[in-house]
Amino acid sequence: MTGRVKNKAAFFAGMTVLLLIVILFSLAWGQVSVPIDAAMTVIGKQLHLPGLDGTGVTPEQTSVIWHIRMPRTLVGLLVGAALSVSGAVMQGVFGNSLADPGIIGVSSGAALGAVIAIALGVTANGIFYMPVFALTGALLAVGLTVALAMRDGKIPVMVLLLAGVAVSMLMGALTSGILTFMNENRLREFLFWVVGGLDYRRWEHVYLAAGPIIIGILILFLLARHLNIMVLGDQEARSVGVPVAFFRLILLVISALTTATAVCVSGTIGFVGLVVPHIMRLLLGPEHRTLLPACALAGGLFLVACDTLGRLVIPPSEVRVGIMTALLGAPYFLYLLRKSQKGGGLS
Amino acid sequence: MNASSQSALTVANVGVTIGDKVILRDISLAVKPGEFVAIIGPNGAGKSTLLRGLRGLGAISAGTVQVFGQSIHTMGDKQLARTIAYMQQEVNIGFGFTALEIVLAGRYPYLKWWQNEENEDYEIAKKYMAFTGVEALADKSVRQVSGGERQRILLAKVLAQETPLIFLDEPTASLDLVYQEEIFRYCQLMCQEGKMVFIIAHDIKLAAKFCTRLILLTGGTILADGKPEDVITTENLEKAYGLHSAVFINKVTGNLDIHTYKAAGTTTRQPSVHVIGGGGSAGTIMRLLHEKAYTLSGGVFQQGDTDTDVALAFGIQAIVGQPFCVIDKIQGRENREKMLAADFTVLSNLYYGQQNLANLEAAFAAPKLIIIEDTAIEERDFTGGKATKLYRDLLTLPQVTVLNSMQFAAQIADGEFKQVCGQ
Repeated sequence: MTGRVKNKAAFFAGMTVLLLIVILFSLAWGQVSVPIDAAMTVIGKQLHLPGLDGTGVTPEQTSVIWHIRMPRTLVGLLVGAALSVSGAVMQGVFGNSLADPGIIGVSSGAALGAVIAIALGVTANGIFYMPVFALTGALLAVGLTVALAMRDGKIPVMVLLLAGVAVSMLMGALTSGILTFMNENRLREFLFWVVGGLDYRRWEHVYLAAGPIIIGILILFLLARHLNIMVLGDQEARSVGVPVAFFRLILLVISALTTATAVCVSGTIGFVGLVVPHIMRLLLGPEHRTLLPACALAGGLFLVACDTLGRLVIPPSEVRVGIMTALLGAPYFLYLLRKSQKGGGLS
Repeated sequence: MNASSQSALTVANVGVTIGDKVILRDISLAVKPGEFVAIIGPNGAGKSTLLRGLRGLGAISAGTVQVFGQSIHTMGDKQLARTIAYMQQEVNIGFGFTALEIVLAGRYPYLKWWQNEENEDYEIAKKYMAFTGVEALADKSVRQVSGGERQRILLAKVLAQETPLIFLDEPTASLDLVYQEEIFRYCQLMCQEGKMVFIIAHDIKLAAKFCTRLILLTGGTILADGKPEDVITTENLEKAYGLHSAVFINKVTGNLDIHTYKAAGTTTRQPSVHVIGGGGSAGTIMRLLHEKAYTLSGGVFQQGDTDTDVALAFGIQAIVGQPFCVIDKIQGRENREKMLAADFTVLSNLYYGQQNLANLEAAFAAPKLIIIEDTAIEERDFTGGKATKLYRDLLTLPQVTVLNSMQFAAQIADGEFKQVCGQ
């Protein structure tokens, strides 16, 4: 009738199994090939699981798995989950399945922050400078958007959308302006950041991103039932007693923070926040209490899978994950668009 | 105050001003539990603004709104949602929520922010879906249901809020006739259970049929408030809608009915006409003439005759006799007096029996006479030839013109009627 998945528990179990398989492959595959059992042993040893003392793994395998690939995969999981969940929330807040956090200026603000950090040359001083600048930029951009849209304690969706477009353009102009004055090395650095990637992500990045992203996602999970009602529209939500402006502000701020954290550690990665929620909504329906957890799982899975594929397509070089997601996401998205045109109406 | 604690909703001097524009002014009313109230009025009268204002969804710039004696502005969002349910006019439901998910939204005001719906909430949702006949659609996406089903799903949602007051903004818009009635019928049932329903309705007849009370809103203020028959009057309809109308009880349905027509648009005084008829033969003639603003009288009709009803609906002076009785002398005289007073007289395509032969005899008194003849007199004569003879004599008179109904109607429509009458 609705074309939805009937058995949701089985769906989630399947997704989890698939996710674990993808994680294992992402750890095992790459320029240095490590057998899967060796990879599992390395993880077990690092986690001090008993009964692994006898089995031997080389120090090289240990460092590749635990110090290079593990943080990279974990960052991928966190970022994928953050982008997808925030994307789903934004689509709910805007009542439009084409919305993503970029629409209220998160990405353009983060890019501006990053370019300022690069222009000032502070990025060489430590890996935290760039994320802090990017986060600040993202939050300022979102704050500006919301401030422009808010009137009499209300945040009308249409005005928010237009304010978001205007702020994004402003941030983009400032970014381009600064770029024109930068030397080639710094331009390269910016380019590297703007095409999001997971390479060279270290445990520090995991520590940096894990807290804000996990807390943000959990809060969004808790607010899922309220989001369900808000999707029905302002009047409808207010008529059953939802303080619409309050929840809209909270949802915007939390999802912007979560996205901004993700963008900080990985650069801008497109299409994850758009395509993953879209597919999950087709499979599970718009009930956000199941949709958001599904997006978290599927987002991580999609990003790690894209990253693993990116490492394999043209060895020894890598295709950065931001390019992979767009390469896979854009055609699928166009396909959805065509299909919905035939079926009448975007879902 | 005792009065306000008895009434479910007390509205005092409410006004809404947006910018410089006064949308509503001086709205005062009190509604008791069990009342089924329809707000009617022309487009732009402020009906939706009023309903939103009373629900606290739109700002009001003056006056007070109290629900069971408590001002709505001192009530919290959820408390208000547990007291008044509101169904808006156009709901555009984004994404493909299922019917059950939509109805469960009505349980929102009963849940703490961290709670999920419990079994009880599901049972309540299903109970009201059964009430509005949409339980079979529970797992269906609201995008895949028909307009009528969607409105009934939304009605179930409103009911799931289990509020003593229910506000509905044109729930029947864009629905088939069957569903329109159905929505009104559900509301009627709810009122019988002691709830108060406030409904904005475009269909006045439907509102008059089901509601216990009508409020006619026009130009941002209440023009009339009371029982349907007191509110739906020719004068009120003209004031509110600028409509020329006749309000009457439809004998087939037993309900209040309204006949509307375009105003004649003439300022010159139209001639006065007396119509001789009865047994339904004069109804169309009177309607056509009335709509062109002729001053009319009619007779001698019989009680219970549709001609009598038409005359009553249009406010036409009619001489009415007892059914199945011979027209008495007084009525006969009255009939002649009216003919003499009128500029001309129309004799309808009457069937003649002993009871109404006096109508034919009276026609001789008319200074100017138009005879409508659709059927030969022999076929209409149940007096054994008496009527035929009289009719033939009548035709020889110089002041007589004979037309059939079609010709008559065409001439009235064209306004050539005066020429026929030699005016």
